[in-house]
Amino acid sequence: MVSGANILLSSLVFSPLLAILVIACIPGRRFAAIKQVGILGTLLPLILAFWMFGLFNYDTSNLQFVERHDWISIPIGLAQTGTVFAFEINYELGVDGISMPLILLTAIIGTLAAVASWQIKKRLKEFFILLHLLLIGMLGVFAADNLFLFFIFFELTLVPMYFLIGIWGYGEREHAANKFLLYNGIGSGIMLLAFIAIFVVMRTLNIDQIAAILTTPDHPVTAALTPTVRFALFMALFVAFAIKLPVFPFHTWMLKVHVQAPPSIVMIHSGILLKMGAYGLLRMGIGFFPEQAYQFSTWLAILGIINVLYGAVLAFVQKDLKMVLAYSSISHMGIVLLGFAAMNSIGFQGAMFQVVSHGFISALLFFLIGVIWDRTQTSMIDDLGGLSKSMPFVSGVFLAGGMASLGLPGMSGFISEFFAFLGLFGRMPVLAAIGALGIVLTAVYLLRAIMRTTFGPTPSRFTGLADAQPMEVIPMVVLLGFIILIGVYPAVLGNPMQQALKTIVPIVTGIGG
Amino acid sequence: MDTFLHYAWLIPLFPLLAFIVIVSFGRQLKEGAAIVGIGLTAVSFGIAVLAFWQRFRDGGVDYNYVVDWLHVGDIVINMGFEVTPLNAMMLVIVTLVSLLVQIYSKGYMHGDERFPVFYQYLALFTFSMLGLVISPNLLQVYIFWELVGVCSFLLVGYYYFKPEAKAAAKKAFIVTRIGDLGLFIGICLLFWWTGSFEYGPIFESVALGRLEPWMITVAAILIFIGAMGKSGQFPLHTWLPDAMEGPTPVSALIHAATMVAAGVYLVAATYPLFIASDTALTVVAYVGGITAIFAASIGLTQRDIKRVLAYSTVSQLGYMMMALGVAGAAGYVAGSFHLMTHAFFKALLFLGAGSVIHAVHTQDVFEMGGLWKKMPVTALTFLIGCLAIAGIFPFAGFWSKEAILGAVYGAHRYDLLVIALVAAFFTAFYMFRLFFLTFTGKARGKHEAHESPGVMTGPLLILALLAVVAGFVNTPYAPLLTDWLLSTGTGTAIVNVFGEGTEHAASWLQIVALLISVLGVILAYLMYGKKSVSPNSIPEAMPWLYRLSYRKYYVDELYQNVIVRPLGWLGIILNGFDKYVVDGLVGLTAKITQGIGALHARVQSGQIQSYGAMVLFGLLLLILAISLTVEGGGLFGFGR
Repeated sequence: MVSGANILLSSLVFSPLLAILVIACIPGRRFAAIKQVGILGTLLPLILAFWMFGLFNYDTSNLQFVERHDWISIPIGLAQTGTVFAFEINYELGVDGISMPLILLTAIIGTLAAVASWQIKKRLKEFFILLHLLLIGMLGVFAADNLFLFFIFFELTLVPMYFLIGIWGYGEREHAANKFLLYNGIGSGIMLLAFIAIFVVMRTLNIDQIAAILTTPDHPVTAALTPTVRFALFMALFVAFAIKLPVFPFHTWMLKVHVQAPPSIVMIHSGILLKMGAYGLLRMGIGFFPEQAYQFSTWLAILGIINVLYGAVLAFVQKDLKMVLAYSSISHMGIVLLGFAAMNSIGFQGAMFQVVSHGFISALLFFLIGVIWDRTQTSMIDDLGGLSKSMPFVSGVFLAGGMASLGLPGMSGFISEFFAFLGLFGRMPVLAAIGALGIVLTAVYLLRAIMRTTFGPTPSRFTGLADAQPMEVIPMVVLLGFIILIGVYPAVLGNPMQQALKTIVPIVTGIGG
Repeated sequence: MDTFLHYAWLIPLFPLLAFIVIVSFGRQLKEGAAIVGIGLTAVSFGIAVLAFWQRFRDGGVDYNYVVDWLHVGDIVINMGFEVTPLNAMMLVIVTLVSLLVQIYSKGYMHGDERFPVFYQYLALFTFSMLGLVISPNLLQVYIFWELVGVCSFLLVGYYYFKPEAKAAAKKAFIVTRIGDLGLFIGICLLFWWTGSFEYGPIFESVALGRLEPWMITVAAILIFIGAMGKSGQFPLHTWLPDAMEGPTPVSALIHAATMVAAGVYLVAATYPLFIASDTALTVVAYVGGITAIFAASIGLTQRDIKRVLAYSTVSQLGYMMMALGVAGAAGYVAGSFHLMTHAFFKALLFLGAGSVIHAVHTQDVFEMGGLWKKMPVTALTFLIGCLAIAGIFPFAGFWSKEAILGAVYGAHRYDLLVIALVAAFFTAFYMFRLFFLTFTGKARGKHEAHESPGVMTGPLLILALLAVVAGFVNTPYAPLLTDWLLSTGTGTAIVNVFGEGTEHAASWLQIVALLISVLGVILAYLMYGKKSVSPNSIPEAMPWLYRLSYRKYYVDELYQNVIVRPLGWLGIILNGFDKYVVDGLVGLTAKITQGIGALHARVQSGQIQSYGAMVLFGLLLLILAISLTVEGGGLFGFGR
């Protein structure tokens, strides 16, 4: 392996620090310089992420780029053997086929969100510092192989988000920020309790080890864990991540965030932060307690269907484009649940594809809403219309993004939707068929929203709008490019995932079959 | 030697190349985009003809080639292509009609400000349609199935600024998607029941009896639901007449000759599944029959030239489905045969209608009239199209319609036979009503009509020639197409089940059918040509019947009131529920929590602090819990 690869992952996770340091040294009024550094700074994690992806070994299910260092050790008691037992918090990072694509996604969306932040007009210095902090948190969540680290990084995303929404958002930004914090704080609290309980029994915080021990039948350490306790722990983890995903009825906070946060932050929020819920659910919920997840899978499917259909019907009647997309996100995250509920490799792959695919698609759509807002100062559907005339490029990309979102083949949304449903049809065909109604409803609400915005007669006030500028074209083309790449050649995403999914699936199906 | 079969995958790729070139250089190319589209489609047509010829000459087994596309767990999903008699025929039809339509559009769309965009969409459509036809597995079919749907959507909504076009495009997409959902579910279920998306293994599982009979019926009907959406079968037909909002060449290519026939093609391509289930076949036959007569009866009263043609298309597609549904080798061949002849004469009729609209700038037939002298080429070719679709000897439609009637009669479905004959009468009547109103009598509108340019009349002449001769490939005296379609793969499977059974209609049936068609023509002549019978006699005698037909049996209104509106209401109710109940309850909980918090500590004045306190609290909890539970007691001495 290339020398330096042993600290590659840490370098990647903390690489945004460099930009933070540089920006901290630039005087706050030098907007242009801050923007340049803010955007260029995100290229470093991007390059490192692609480098790592290049080195990533597809043929092993083991963690790669592993880093383990002793970090904190608080001696707190004597074990029966007489040795001192210590509360150890180690620094443990590693990636596998599930986290690798998400790290890549994070780096890509991070850069594009920075580009999209060019329209931010106040307190740029703080904005970009917080943005880079957020980036560290997100990268860390996907790289952590330790519950404590995971928790810290998870929390690290909340604080910058709170300020990014509360300071740079629209009208009701403070309300949205508080609501965001309230819900996520509760989620974190539940997650923390579950982590503590797990640690108390397992005596380790290492995610890989915990999963290995918990899924070994009759392992002495886990003898204390009765099925009831396990189920309680699974449910705690499920609720914690369900708030993040979000699952009905925990979803109302994210509506506010989607409407009030600035577009570039919503790109990150909808594109990546929601995905931490899906990731946690797979890695910890299902990874630690496959048996309980299997028992719960019918409920996963039912909750997934509720998300899919409820989100779609509500998206159909919204007046604000942002709300349409917010409910659309709820609907699409339901598909993730459906994929998990399938409890087979096809369903899991569909769910993970959906996580990545929706990341790109929602980032694209929210970016476009930002562009439209920039021209028209509105995102209300009834105020818009006929934009194709003056903004053909933006309107075309908007339609393409909508098509990707409604699962048009040749785009990533189709692959993820198809495999999530295909997986579920293998286990619960009736529920899958009900959920599949969402395929029609998605088309109904997306076409309504997009065609009312871009088709139809052009009002005179919109005849002179400027089409996309070069700085806006870049994110659109890059995002659309990835959406089409995954849609046409899904193996680019599927192959790295194979080995990691192969380790989860037999455990789950071994229980079920 | 199978060189051209081996390179059949290139056939869809040239239009794809055209699409990419026009997308990249559309602004520079301007109307030169037409040359790119036409040139590259011509190459595809050339290869398709060579592949067809080679397939025809050499016979033998079907050509199939696949590559790995995606691994999921232990499953490998392939993409590839195959060449069978059925799809070799389709490749030629699609490339030929697409080529002619693109040539024609060069004249028709001349001066349009989004000219390159139009050719871009046409190229993408041609690629997708060819990809659909050449697919060897159902997943790939579904992929292209959706892509042709989106191209149709884009082209129907080409005049995006017109509210009618916008509504029609949306409707086309959503109604067909309802059908697609059936196909989607069918594919998923078949995958789990047979372990494959590929035609071969699926048919093998069916043939070997690995599937329960109910599974076959369910899967076949679900696939048929997809076909109903695409092919405008009742009750999913409503989008097709509205789709006429698109430019007329699009109606000819997509909504007459190729895409709408994809449903018929799909049923034919998955025929081994259908013949294993009597129930599924019966459903296909009756849905087809009902659609045929239902749409024909609407076509009788419409005023818009394109809408008459649209209902005629729906009706003819119903005819094809009915043929497939009556099963047996005869039905399979007759359905496929009619698919081919219909592609030619209906494309001809639409392009002819386009030529007329281009000249008179109206679509209302009551504002036309007297165009025979002013537009001789258009008029003559349109007449040929009318004769072909009416099933007049010896035009193409005569032979294929005769084959369908023979198949229905041979299967002893006498109720369907009556329906088919009545629909044939209607068809002959409304087509010649259209012809007489448009081309004979006095000019009723204020317009200076001229014959269209050669770039438009050229394709008309070629299609007219095909509308005359295409039927001869399968006459009772020389059933070339029958022999060929039944030679391999699906064809042999059908013969194995049903036997050859391709005897043609008894000669008395041929004569009756011909007489009925002639009767329809004569009635139209008396009403609209000679005007010796008042066209108003029937509407005046039975106004409700006329209105029922003119208002298309109120199906649109029904859907609007039963599905669309209630969905909106449901949305509004749920929106209130979400806002006041879901969010409200949580908000209430939050308020209570805050209240309790305020009682306890002043540090919790802001959210950040409360949040920080929670983290700290958690950490303390963690250490406490560990201290309590470590065997042998913790350092703090608890539990000793």
